[in-house]
Amino acid sequence: MPSDTHRADERRFLDERGSSASLAPNGLNPATIMEKAVRERIVDSYFWKEQCFGVNEADIVDRVVDHVSFIAGTYGDTQKPSPFLCLAFKLLQLGPDDSIIDTYLSYGGEKFKYLRALACFYVRLTRKAENVFGILEPFLEDKRKLRRRLRNGVKLTYVDEFVDELLTKDRVCATSLWQMPKREILEDLDLLEPRVSPLGDIEDLLDEEEGEGEGEGE
Amino acid sequence: MQHLRNIGETGEVKKASAEDVRRRIDEVWERLQEQKRATTTTLKERLEIREE
Amino acid sequence: KHWDDLMDEEEDVDTEDDKDPEAEYAAWKLRELKRIKREREAIEAREKEREEVERRRNLTEEERK
Repeated sequence: MPSDTHRADERRFLDERGSSASLAPNGLNPATIMEKAVRERIVDSYFWKEQCFGVNEADIVDRVVDHVSFIAGTYGDTQKPSPFLCLAFKLLQLGPDDSIIDTYLSYGGEKFKYLRALACFYVRLTRKAENVFGILEPFLEDKRKLRRRLRNGVKLTYVDEFVDELLTKDRVCATSLWQMPKREILEDLDLLEPRVSPLGDIEDLLDEEEGEGEGEGE
Repeated sequence: MQHLRNIGETGEVKKASAEDVRRRIDEVWERLQEQKRATTTTLKERLEIREE
Repeated sequence: KHWDDLMDEEEDVDTEDDKDPEAEYAAWKLRELKRIKREREAIEAREKEREEVERRRNLTEEERK
């Protein structure tokens, strides 16, 4: 029977490295998804010790709303882990199921954009490729603004742009993303339907653009 | 603090269900609306004082 | 608090939404179009590559005859 509690701290989670304890749905060990150096920075950080001890799936909501005001991996000269990254690591420890993730993404995500961004990041790290595409792509429609903190400085980004990065880049927020099969391969295997953009068919759009250039058109 | 109340002697914290998470989202949202209302009220009061 | 260190106001960016919904939609539409075009180009490039491989294979077969 699965336990109805989590360990308040991360010690056992990290000790279980290498064991088959509980793998993520994509087959990876959640304890080693982030790189060792990053994990060490996280558990050494003040934010982790103060705000991530004894936190459960519901407390994550409080932590995000109160403390996450930008997306980042590690930042600054000291490569400090961001609250965003620390909370992603906490999610790796908690291993929330799909119904909780869906609540973060949809019900919570409508109200709190950083909660959606965090859950998207977590989904990309732990779910099977076809589910990553299926779950994340609808949020390519979410145009809300996000603050992105880089090694030096800050940049404006958007939920859709962050989701696109998760789907196309190799490395996001100090974390190497596992290599997913290409979308078209999943389509060939009938695991995914072709993506339809909310803008509709690209050919129509291009025609439309040309049509506009010619005045009334047709 | 919320999280200190949750932890028993065992160093464990109770798992939350999707329903718990949903409830928490409502609570946090309500808390933020309260705060916003409070700020607006103070602002309004201040403006009213200035007008007097 | 230590972890909530704020950045300089000067370098900060404004992330408030719905200030100008029309402009925000237009900016999003542009990003989405770029993504669609990028995907389409990638598929075309792979298709071309496949054709090229096919062409070469046919050449060698004919040469063998």
